[in-house]
Amino acid sequence: MYLRRSALCLVAALPVLAAPVEFNRDIRPILSDRCYSCHGPDSVNRKANLRLDVEASARPKLAAALERVTSTSKATRMPPVYAGAGLTDPQVALIKQWIAEGAQWQKHWSFIPPVRLEPPAVKNTTWAKNEIDRFILARLEREGLQPGPAAERATLIRRLSLDLTGLAPSPAEVDAFVNDASPAAYEKVVDRLLNSPRYGERMATRWLDAARYADTNGYQTDAERFMWRWRDWVIDAFNRNMRFDQFTIEQLAGDLLPNPTLDQLIATGFNRNHRGNGEGGSIAEEFIVEYHADRVETTSTVWMGLTIGCSRCHDHKYDPFTQKEFYQLTAFFNNLNEKGKVFKYGNSPPMVPAPTTAQQSGLVKVEATAAAARAAFAATAAARAQGQTEWEKTIAAGTDWQPHRFLLEHFRLDGPGEALRAKTKDGETVFAPSAARYAQAPVFDGKRYLDADDIGNFGFQDKFTVAAWFKSESPDGIIVSRAEDREEQPGWGLHLKGGKLQLNLVQRWLDDCLRVETEKPIALNEWTHVAASYDATRVADGIKIYVNGEPAKLRVIVDDLNQTFTAKEPLRIGAGHGLRFRGAIGDVRLYGNALTPREAAELASRQPLDVIARIPAAQRTAAQASKVESAYLDQFAPAEIRASWTALRTAEHDLTKYLEGLPTVMIMREMPKQRETFLLKRGAYDQPGDRVFRAVPASLPPMDKDAPLDRLGFAQWLVSGRHPLTSRVMVNRFWQMMFGTGIVKTVEDFGSQGEWPVHPELLDWLATEFMRNGWDIKATLKTIVMSATYQQSSRATPDLLQRDPDNRLLARGARLRLPAEMVRDQALAMAGLLVEQLGGPSVKPYQPAGLWKELAGGTDYQRDHGASLYRRSLYTYWKRAVPPPGMMTFDSGGREICTVRESRTNTPLQALTLMNDETYLEAARKMGERMMLEGGSTPASRLDFGFRLVAARAPHERERGVLLTSLHRHLDRYKTDTAAAEKWLAQGESPINAAFDKSELAAYSTIASMLLNLDETVTKE
Amino acid sequence: MMNELTRRYFFSRLSTGLGIPALASLLPGAEGDTAPHFAAKAKRVIYLFQSGGPSQLDLFDHKPGLVNLRASELPDSVRRGQRLTGMTATQTAFPIAPSMYKFAQHGKSGAWLSELLPNLGKVADDIAFVKSMHTEAINHDPAVTFFQTGFQIAGRPSIGAWLAYGLGSDNKDLPAFVVMVSQGTGSPNDQPLYDRLWGSGFLPTRYQGVKLRSIGDPVLHLQNPAGMNTDGRRRFIDDVNALNQIKLEEMGDPEISTRIAQYEMAYRMQASVPELTDLAKEPDRVFELYGPESRKPGTFAANCLLARRLAERGVRFIQLFHRGWDQHNTLPKAIPGQAHDIDRASYGLITDLKERGLLDDTLVVWGGEFGRTVYCQGKLTADDYGRDHHPRCFTMWMAGGGIKPGMYGETDDFSYNVASDPVHVHDLHATIMQCLGVDHTRLTYKYQGRHFRLTDVHGRVVKALLA
Repeated sequence: MYLRRSALCLVAALPVLAAPVEFNRDIRPILSDRCYSCHGPDSVNRKANLRLDVEASARPKLAAALERVTSTSKATRMPPVYAGAGLTDPQVALIKQWIAEGAQWQKHWSFIPPVRLEPPAVKNTTWAKNEIDRFILARLEREGLQPGPAAERATLIRRLSLDLTGLAPSPAEVDAFVNDASPAAYEKVVDRLLNSPRYGERMATRWLDAARYADTNGYQTDAERFMWRWRDWVIDAFNRNMRFDQFTIEQLAGDLLPNPTLDQLIATGFNRNHRGNGEGGSIAEEFIVEYHADRVETTSTVWMGLTIGCSRCHDHKYDPFTQKEFYQLTAFFNNLNEKGKVFKYGNSPPMVPAPTTAQQSGLVKVEATAAAARAAFAATAAARAQGQTEWEKTIAAGTDWQPHRFLLEHFRLDGPGEALRAKTKDGETVFAPSAARYAQAPVFDGKRYLDADDIGNFGFQDKFTVAAWFKSESPDGIIVSRAEDREEQPGWGLHLKGGKLQLNLVQRWLDDCLRVETEKPIALNEWTHVAASYDATRVADGIKIYVNGEPAKLRVIVDDLNQTFTAKEPLRIGAGHGLRFRGAIGDVRLYGNALTPREAAELASRQPLDVIARIPAAQRTAAQASKVESAYLDQFAPAEIRASWTALRTAEHDLTKYLEGLPTVMIMREMPKQRETFLLKRGAYDQPGDRVFRAVPASLPPMDKDAPLDRLGFAQWLVSGRHPLTSRVMVNRFWQMMFGTGIVKTVEDFGSQGEWPVHPELLDWLATEFMRNGWDIKATLKTIVMSATYQQSSRATPDLLQRDPDNRLLARGARLRLPAEMVRDQALAMAGLLVEQLGGPSVKPYQPAGLWKELAGGTDYQRDHGASLYRRSLYTYWKRAVPPPGMMTFDSGGREICTVRESRTNTPLQALTLMNDETYLEAARKMGERMMLEGGSTPASRLDFGFRLVAARAPHERERGVLLTSLHRHLDRYKTDTAAAEKWLAQGESPINAAFDKSELAAYSTIASMLLNLDETVTKE
Repeated sequence: MMNELTRRYFFSRLSTGLGIPALASLLPGAEGDTAPHFAAKAKRVIYLFQSGGPSQLDLFDHKPGLVNLRASELPDSVRRGQRLTGMTATQTAFPIAPSMYKFAQHGKSGAWLSELLPNLGKVADDIAFVKSMHTEAINHDPAVTFFQTGFQIAGRPSIGAWLAYGLGSDNKDLPAFVVMVSQGTGSPNDQPLYDRLWGSGFLPTRYQGVKLRSIGDPVLHLQNPAGMNTDGRRRFIDDVNALNQIKLEEMGDPEISTRIAQYEMAYRMQASVPELTDLAKEPDRVFELYGPESRKPGTFAANCLLARRLAERGVRFIQLFHRGWDQHNTLPKAIPGQAHDIDRASYGLITDLKERGLLDDTLVVWGGEFGRTVYCQGKLTADDYGRDHHPRCFTMWMAGGGIKPGMYGETDDFSYNVASDPVHVHDLHATIMQCLGVDHTRLTYKYQGRHFRLTDVHGRVVKALLA
């Protein structure tokens, strides 16, 4: 069948050393992999009461254990047959040697704080450029290998530019470096690249993978969320070279810092990037547990390289973490006022408005305008008081006024003979039923109702108020609705139920709605005013019901609105939801805003202005006083006062609008009273066990005694300098970014199942160096790229390929296919299309049509136009259910969960993408233009220019030969078939440079496409 | 057409055993024994996934006694306090809604099928009906994810990816795992699907399912752009590969020769995929077998016909997703069309495979992520009812390679609980793998320190289902 190489680490693949056996390096990996799942830390599932990870328990039983592993009897052999293969002969030999040498146990290596060793002495004293090289070289010398030659300068600057900025260098940048004879030439380039804004984008991209950042919620409907302000925070933090300890503290606990800045709040979005389930019918308690677990698992992986998530259902099988300790950790991360069922659309609380810098200055202006308007209005106080007093003496009898800002619809329903008119003395307008507008007579007899047509179709993102006078004969009924006329169907309705007023905003009656009612019933057969408002916040708290102008105490029936509640059927007065009204209804109003308490009170105030005016000011109710004042300011005051009043209201409205238009970001925010946390038996949300309290695992150093026992203390603990893992895990991932593989290959697992570091002393040196330089990321990266190790040529000899196929020993430079985003970004850059704009909302570049629709129905991907097509890939809209195919084809993680390991495959789909995707075809066209425009006048010089764009070097003679032949062939073809040339050029939205002959441009574009398909182009050499 | 240089390199790679399938050997976490672990009955799977949760009560699980209990409250002794979804948990009543469809027995096994499935009955004797399926998840996303990956939370490899990883492909020109999606007539805006359902999780992306689309390119970016014909593309690839060959000689990196091979495979896919999806040469009688909808691209019936063509070409795991089964309300309006979608096509597929001798080594699996409740969701009226999600029991069926036709498992009188022979999702996975010669406990991949497998630490092969 197929070849399958064992997963044994390199150490085993290389000649076994005569050196003494070391428990951590040689023995623990065997015991962990083959024995610990039954004889390790998991106390519940431990067999035969034998524990092989702890010396005291294991030592007395070693001889017996050895006998069992070497047993030839299937019945007695360990591990048992059902657990798979037994130990190999070399493994047994190692164990025997270890026992013979006294069987020394060690604490697991990664739990011992790193020790900074002097770099070892090396025989070759000329090669090393810094400490890194001596560690690498010492190992090479032990293995009898030589380091490789230095990479050529052009190769080197391309490698460096890709590694530090994610983009290839321009030909000019290559030339400048190749021709810079100064000894500091290389370092100058390093510094230039580290200071480029592109650096922050490059670094952020991997951090987004780790932080499972995306633009959608991830479950089921997978609707949009908005976390891009957090993404921009990350880019900015990298660009400012925020120290990693601060970077850690702000993301894990920025909200707990004293007087946190907006940026520090935004930073905590890190732990809100997990997926959120808003699926109808989902059980909130089940999913909130997932969010807590995700935070612990992600945080543990990213900062500690630990698989603590494995101890969610039982004690960890391999590492010293109990199940209880897992839940103790969740207690740090579960104390926010969140729901297990998140909003299906948009961000879910807790969140903050997160204006960008530009928006913050805009906000200052809008606030200043509002303040100025407030001051100007205040300055009219004396004139107003006097003017109003004068005016009150002149009000004509029967003059009335009601709030009318945002008034959308008004049905007076006060035709002749109606009791309502007498009660309110509301003018003389005659109600005239019209066949067109009202289907039936306005007599509410429990059968008939008014059909008010297609109005008032509010949805969950609309603010509105519905108000009416009514007199009900029955405790049950419906006053106004815009809903289907069947029980419990979608739509909104102002109901009477058992005498209580209800506002029901319904998508599904039981579980997708906001439904509230007044605590007290209203009086029957009495005219009552109701105003019910909704502020578009999608929570029950956003509903107010005013009865006779007073805010009523409300009881929440259901607070679980996820989808809009629009309805196809008309607005009905006295009907809806299969209900009818018995009694009288008048003065029905719909406002396109949530009325303020003051407005609601004014609306319910029955007396006309002249009546109120006759009441001495001191004896007026608040509603009466404000109604007269509002009427005066709105309608009767002198022009300048009215103007000042209008200006104030406009400015305040503008401010509200501005605030509402700001992007938000989900953040961490502690609840004042700590949520109780329980161990969950078998990890099941509905099986709580003992209560647990915040604590860090016992096998790791304790938190500082003075540190707060919260996320802040936890974050400080990670970067205290005493934590054995944080710095190792981080430098290991930096190493992976530069060399493709970590010093510990299992970057996500530093536990006992993880790989033994190929260069343990180097890992520790880098880890201690990272802390010594004050967690300076740029400095640490610089140290790595300044090494001779990094600067080697990536050419491989057959011998070296045989000895070290995965290049773990680094006797050559790394040669790796570029990550997905770099493949696209550099193509855009080479084409001159790349739009280098930092941050902002995510963009939707080219993507084949129909991909969203065929999986989810509804709206398809709406691709952007113009500059948004050419932004760097980290700004591409990431829909978790249907991730950008161009990224996935090139091995991006799906952003469902934390991903820290880089992955590379080599597939035909990648070839098809590079050859046929509009993105790359347009890039080829623009690159073809550049070749003709900037590449001189001969075919050879133009080909050379194109080749230099993709490879940072001129082609060799043979390569040039292939390209020239190809060019001529395509040129001949397009000359004879100009229609084909035109079609070939019709790719992408960018304009075609009309200055060029189409056939010629098509031929160069074809060559450019070929260049974009080269292995070298998509590879870092 | 292939130029000699690239031809030589491509085939020499294959002949040294380092061709495309064998790249599994170069994976970081690859381990375990070489699959297959024992003789396989089936070489491939056609999995007809019914997304949304078909009602077992209206299709397979005949409960004549319910008619007399119509509108009566579901007894607590049956429900036993089991959890319900948030959609019905706060209902004040749980009235029993018997199926309004007639049932009849079919074939030697006497399988009960409702009148909604008139054609399936004709092949009843080729089918094993598993009435005692049960799952753990109660909502679509986790439930479909569970069926596809053995875990409710996203992140693990899908079943097709596992088998592509374990068994490779029998066709060098097509991917090992192919997915097709269709929208049923039952519920037009039904539950969405997600690319990750056929994703590779922590396995390399090479093993992810490739979606065969009915609109646009069948495989993304398969077609050459206008202005580039086949001949031009051939020469283009020759030139790219010639340049890559020069690079290979310089650098010695085996990845370069793999890339050369992948461009050749891409070129071959450009021919093999359109040949695959071109149904023009299928005779009329084949379309008749699958029903008239099979002439319409993108329908379940057309996808079934394509599935047979993929099976003929040795694709390892062919998965169809048919949406539209989520019938919470007005089920009697929605289910007839939805059942019609699959009835004739499933019958056609089984018959067609059988006629071609392919059914013996092709395992066909049919089923959704859960069943539906016996109690009515919403209002029960004379001619209307709805059903909520029901994970406690539901019906799936299997046919072909390695499967013994017949009936398996029983539910209680309410089709609410499994009464005998429960089959868990993990058991189904273990059984499917068994048919393919794979020991589900031995196909593992090490990730985050754990030896992961599709069945996690569970799964039991249902031997009674095996031929």
